[in-house]
Amino acid sequence: MLEVVDGGLVTTVQGAGRPAMVTFGVPIGGACDRWSLALANALLGNNPTAPALEMALLGPTLRVRADCAVGLAGADLSGRLDDGTELRPGSARLLRAGQVLTFSSATPGSGVRAYLALAGGVDVPDVLGSPSTCLIGGFGGLEGRPLAAGDTISPRDPGGRRVGSWDGAAMPAAGPLRVVRGPHASELPDQALAGLLEGFFVVGRGDRQGIRLEGPSIKPGSLSLVSQPMRAGAVQLPPDGRPIALLVDHQTVGGYPVPAVVIGADLPRLGQLGAGDGVRFREVGLGQARVALLGLEQELSLLGSRVAIA
Amino acid sequence: MSIEPFGESALLVRLGERVDPLLSARIQSLAAEVNRARESGDGRLGVAVAGYASLLVPFDPTIGDVSGVAAWLRNAIASNSAEAAVEDWPLIEIPVRYGGADGPDLDDVARRLGLTSHKVVEVHGSVTYRVYMLGFSPGFGYLGELPAALELPRRDTPRARVPAGSVAIAGRQTAVYPLPSPGGWHLIGRTDERLWDVSREPPARLSPGQTVRFVSA
Repeated sequence: MLEVVDGGLVTTVQGAGRPAMVTFGVPIGGACDRWSLALANALLGNNPTAPALEMALLGPTLRVRADCAVGLAGADLSGRLDDGTELRPGSARLLRAGQVLTFSSATPGSGVRAYLALAGGVDVPDVLGSPSTCLIGGFGGLEGRPLAAGDTISPRDPGGRRVGSWDGAAMPAAGPLRVVRGPHASELPDQALAGLLEGFFVVGRGDRQGIRLEGPSIKPGSLSLVSQPMRAGAVQLPPDGRPIALLVDHQTVGGYPVPAVVIGADLPRLGQLGAGDGVRFREVGLGQARVALLGLEQELSLLGSRVAIA
Repeated sequence: MSIEPFGESALLVRLGERVDPLLSARIQSLAAEVNRARESGDGRLGVAVAGYASLLVPFDPTIGDVSGVAAWLRNAIASNSAEAAVEDWPLIEIPVRYGGADGPDLDDVARRLGLTSHKVVEVHGSVTYRVYMLGFSPGFGYLGELPAALELPRRDTPRARVPAGSVAIAGRQTAVYPLPSPGGWHLIGRTDERLWDVSREPPARLSPGQTVRFVSA
């Protein structure tokens, strides 16, 4: 069991999303980077989507109240125990009662979200079919809000002591974001999609809803849409010409045209981008996108078997 | 009509680019058909999400592909008539306390429209609205169409926090904020009706296709 000494910038419980609730205006939500979530869980022998702590940019400080196994993956937030021992992303450890685990800020350019798994998953109830925190709705996870000092976080399997080891990467590889043509590509000026594919962008403001991309201005022309359903990965073009890439907590409907959509296999990578990161897009066909997604699903299902659990 | 891929695991059906009750009814009807097909065993299909005149149809790419699902949708659209499938929703009445602290923008809205506050309230309650879609936040229904006499652009500066239950207008739309959230619409009143409650099934009071009237409390 862990006691929260400091909640960090925005630490939330995240696991699987709520695809069946989108029709009620609820974002699908869940982990922004489900690859890293799956690895953190695999390190403890958990199900790939078991709820874990998603720690963004500036991590929490946690005091161990009872011995507790943790698995860590994703961005490097300099996790450290009070005796000076480092807890590296891609590793797991049995924490002892009395120890204090402190995370600090993400190293620029190396991801913004880390996942801390507990044995069996973080013990929170399912709300509307998922344990994940829905910040806009104020439900799920820990009372629908980020962690705060004084909270306690318990594992679903308090007796779980097994910790695994892993010698692969701790988060999704960097690289261009692969996109397919978006649903409005053919109605936008030709320069819209071309501008995205040729441009170099720098991530501006961002949160779990989406990230702003600063770079060449890409005008959407005169295309006028009435609000329509959106998807994570959609690259929207607002009238100001600064694209927005949508993440898992995006509003379920929106009125900006979408010239390109980041493929499902690259959403984990998209979920790790933070302010100042450089972004390039590369177009692929739907067939390639599908093969890549099937590859990701297979990789996630096999992560558990690639972790050696003591 | 167009059917375009929205990524490798969803299709976006668009019947037009306007706010139109008939297009919306056809979208609701198609959404119902997708959901029926899924419930009767078509494991490819996910839960469909409606826009004003569009429908997002997610599918499982491990067992479906774009061309197969698009063909299914084309067939469903061709054989579907809006009248046949739209469910007969009851009319929902929402009691509203207009003006004062509950509707801090009512007097300003009236002034900008050249109407009395009383007239704004009367016009807002004079029509039956259709729930076109849910979005923005959980349970937030976009209701239309607001009579042209009440049409105003959104506020220049959105509020950081709008209280739950606020009844608001913007453009040719009206809505009730189900949860405290930021908001750029004009607040003309407030209701005690709970538009969103996770302990209820379904959690949202409004569903696309329903009809709504506002009555002065």
